[in-house]
Amino acid sequence: MSLGEERLESIRMIRDSAAALAPRKDLKRVRALRFSEPGFDRGLWRQMCAMGWVGLRVPELEGGSGLGMAELCALAEELGAALVPEPLVAGVVAAHLLNGTDLADHIAGRRLFIPAWQEWAGSLEFDGGEMRLRDGRLSGRKLFVPMAAGADAYVLSVPHGVAIVPAATEGMSRDLEQAQDGGHYATLTLAGVPVQPIAMERRRIADALDEAALATAAYLLGVAEQAFALTLEYLCTRKQFGQPIGSFQALQHRAVDLRLQLALSRASIGGAAAVLDGEAAPAARQAAVSRAKARAADAALLVTRQAVQLHGAIGYTDEFDIGLFLRKAMTLANLYGSAAQHRARYARLTPSTAEATA
Amino acid sequence: MSTAAANQAQSATQLDELNALDDEAFRQQVRAFLRTHYPEELRFPVKRLHWAQIKPWYLTLSRHGWVAPGWAREYGGMGLSAAKQIIYMEEFESYGVARAPDMGIVMLGPLLIRYGSEAQKQFFLPRILSGEHIWCQGYSEPNSGSDLASLRTEAVQEGDHWVVNGQKTWTTLATDANWIFVLVRTDRGAKKQEGISFLLVPMDSPGVTVRPLLNLDLHDEFCEVFFDAVKVPCDNLVGQVNHGWSMAKALLGFERIFIGSPKQSAYALKRLLALVEHLGIAAEPLCVERVARFRMELEDHTLLYETFAERLKRGESLGPDVSLLKINQCELYQRITEYMLEIAGEHAGLLEPIDGIRDLNAAGLFLQSRVTTIYGGSSEIQRNILAKHVLDLPG
Ligand SMILES: Cc1cc2nc3c(=O)[nH]c(=O)nc-3n(C[C@H](O)[C@H](O)[C@H](O)COP(=O)(O)OP(=O)(O)OC[C@H]3O[C@@H](n4cnc5c(N)ncnc54)[C@H](O)[C@@H]3O)c2cc1C
Repeated sequence: MSLGEERLESIRMIRDSAAALAPRKDLKRVRALRFSEPGFDRGLWRQMCAMGWVGLRVPELEGGSGLGMAELCALAEELGAALVPEPLVAGVVAAHLLNGTDLADHIAGRRLFIPAWQEWAGSLEFDGGEMRLRDGRLSGRKLFVPMAAGADAYVLSVPHGVAIVPAATEGMSRDLEQAQDGGHYATLTLAGVPVQPIAMERRRIADALDEAALATAAYLLGVAEQAFALTLEYLCTRKQFGQPIGSFQALQHRAVDLRLQLALSRASIGGAAAVLDGEAAPAARQAAVSRAKARAADAALLVTRQAVQLHGAIGYTDEFDIGLFLRKAMTLANLYGSAAQHRARYARLTPSTAEATA
Repeated sequence: MSTAAANQAQSATQLDELNALDDEAFRQQVRAFLRTHYPEELRFPVKRLHWAQIKPWYLTLSRHGWVAPGWAREYGGMGLSAAKQIIYMEEFESYGVARAPDMGIVMLGPLLIRYGSEAQKQFFLPRILSGEHIWCQGYSEPNSGSDLASLRTEAVQEGDHWVVNGQKTWTTLATDANWIFVLVRTDRGAKKQEGISFLLVPMDSPGVTVRPLLNLDLHDEFCEVFFDAVKVPCDNLVGQVNHGWSMAKALLGFERIFIGSPKQSAYALKRLLALVEHLGIAAEPLCVERVARFRMELEDHTLLYETFAERLKRGESLGPDVSLLKINQCELYQRITEYMLEIAGEHAGLLEPIDGIRDLNAAGLFLQSRVTTIYGGSSEIQRNILAKHVLDLPG
């Protein structure tokens, strides 16, 4: 499953440019954007588009970068490590659902489309039938639309396809809820909004959401890795009882256990990316994504919780950075499916009889 | 007789009667008292209340002589037996009574009663009871947390006063307090535990500065407190110079059984039950199993807690094994809130409770539970204590 030299090189380049655009150690920008509207920087978003990131998965023929999931995961991990609030994962999902000039505008950063697929809390269903389309008019509700205040338009999943609704449309209201990480989610309520639905295969939307789940897992891995790195630093510098607290064996073992979880997450995510980049059947693809997302969600919450614990009281202050990582993990852990949902989906998709696992 | 004096006489007879009741009847009385007097809207608050919000209730307790269950009657306390104190605490907890700034009642009062001069008792105790003095605890410093005895805030004697320089931190509700009790270094040459004294400092002394800090729940609950050449009268030193450490340590056992009581976990479990109902997953097998597990754990913890409470009731003092309680309670509380987060879906990452329902505050409770394994001696430190002083392991 190892990647060829060429892809490893492209992944290295992506990591380097992500680190240059969003330096890990400087969280001043991230702090300044918290609890503001739209909660991210459109200037930086355009730069991200110019780097080809939003169109990373779009084929070159359609103006995108035509890169694989391994590349997207590497990018998401780097952005996670820097707690970047710009909605890359949502942007990549939208790119999957757009065509023509909409797609071109979106990946060039001229217009930002944000996907709105969810109709129930804690559900992976995107066509739950809560949207009513009658005589070209759309009614219903979409939940947990990320960074919605910065969108120029929304891509809504509707029966048999998608519909595009500009942000300021009569008949659509937008209620924002603040998130722990300083971003926000919107509930969109539509009452007879005229739309022109675009027919789309179910599979295409489902694939986009699976990619989002895996990219979110990678983003969570970045969050956890950086929280862990900061914690290791702290274990080496913080002194109590006349010695660095990292010299206490109880804490050394704790740190090792966290490292193990990070290593497993990385392996799981890398494996799932390879499956998506290959030719596997849908069930195998989805199972791989579920395995990686469940692991990454649990690991990121564990690592960031322990990061706060190992910092002591200073970790519980808002002005010290380590808490930002915990809040980010809280915000992302259950998006595109919680660990429990993904475990359930994995069980459904893969046989677990004695013969099958032998 | 003045009204105040009449009130006092009346509450004295009532306190006599309360003390004479058997435990079950006493429990009923406490319940009735809370139902009559405790403001409904302050039950089970989502965040720690500030003095301005809780003051009327504190004054109600004060008027009835109910502020200090553990203090002796001669000092204005309720003079309850250990058994009744525990019942009092349990009833307050299960009614969802908010925690008032209680450092004066729980920490300082008992310390003054045991070690204070007659003049200190006479001056400070009534002012704690009346709510005139609100105290905060100034022990921790930026570089002295788990290793508290390494503290560096210094007091130097100059004539009839001490001059204090240094910084305290993580001081809970310092913005609400008008007095702070601090551990200060008074002998730099001595072994670290032996050069520490216990000082009482008015917060409005020139040179005292308070900076509130936001915590992860975005609440301004703890603070930094700076001392810049603060003059404190010598009379404000409690006990003997350089004996502050052993006095402060003598009170830790109580703090551990207090945090080790099942209240936080019981509260979290209630919230969990409300959450699974709201999410409609209460009957799902996975959920049933997890919830049952938490309920069983809570029952086991409560039984363990009762064995410690029994010891207190019999008048025994608690040994270092009380750390078992603190570790288990805090970690159980955290596991419950972690499960809440796990099932809360997207709401796990939102700032406000689910659908605006105050009881469904999964994210907030999760964050609040984080500190319990840090304060009052971290879980790691409690494990060190147990390994060394209970298991007698080498090293
Ligand atoms: C919400 C809150 C309220 C507080 N209120 C007050 C207050 O009102 N007044 C007051 O004086 N203080 C208060 N504190 C401070 C509290 O007492 C300290 O946080 C605590 O003593 C831990 O110290 P620290 O935070 O400096 O962590 P550190 O001591 O720096 O510990 C950092 C990490 O290292 C671990 N560690 C340290 N030593 C060892 C060891 N030997 N072996 C293994 N692990 C070790 C710790 O467990 C922790 O995980 C409060 C703290 C909190 C979080």
